[in-house]
Amino acid sequence: MTEVRAEMVANVWQVVASEGDEVADGDTLVILESMKMEIPVLAEAPGTLTKLAVAEGDVVQEGDLIAVIE
Amino acid sequence: MTRAVTVGLRATVRAGVTEADTAAAMGSGDVPVLATPRLLALAEAAAYAAVAPQLADGFTTVGTSVSLEHRRASPLGTEVVVEAELTEVDGSRLVFGFIARVDGTDDDVVLGAGTVERVVVDRARFVARAGARDS
Repeated sequence: MTEVRAEMVANVWQVVASEGDEVADGDTLVILESMKMEIPVLAEAPGTLTKLAVAEGDVVQEGDLIAVIE
Repeated sequence: MTRAVTVGLRATVRAGVTEADTAAAMGSGDVPVLATPRLLALAEAAAYAAVAPQLADGFTTVGTSVSLEHRRASPLGTEVVVEAELTEVDGSRLVFGFIARVDGTDDDVVLGAGTVERVVVDRARFVARAGARDS
């Protein structure tokens, strides 16, 4: 199981993947926005996206869970 | 995304202090001297100009952070010159140092100095993103 967590305070701009998706290492899961930049959050391992913990418009803090890949 | 955005790129902007540039006119105070936000605008303009020619079509920079010392008052008619230099490149994040002086004199007095940070963005995506958030 791999947990994907936010590396900074950011707004969730777009949710690209859906729970249940098969993802490959490097696939974009969500796109965050911080300091006017778009910051893609990528899958860090291949597997099934079993949990997507954020929705568009959410504010995430550093360390917050974004997704779980199993 | 970029051609050659490298430390050392620089640009200079010049402006005379007119009534419209004063703290009284800009609402940042009530005295008839160069407004601090106007000085900042010149610094941002110089930083923007320093890298703009190096960016690929469709890309631009937007301001994200600033530190400014406004050290000396500039009365109406002062010719101000502001030079910005790119001092750090961290991915899309660009850090510039700037310095403002009186132009056209032997007087090497520093009016102001500081740093500005800007990030490289896709202009169309950025504008669309900013608009989408408000709707």
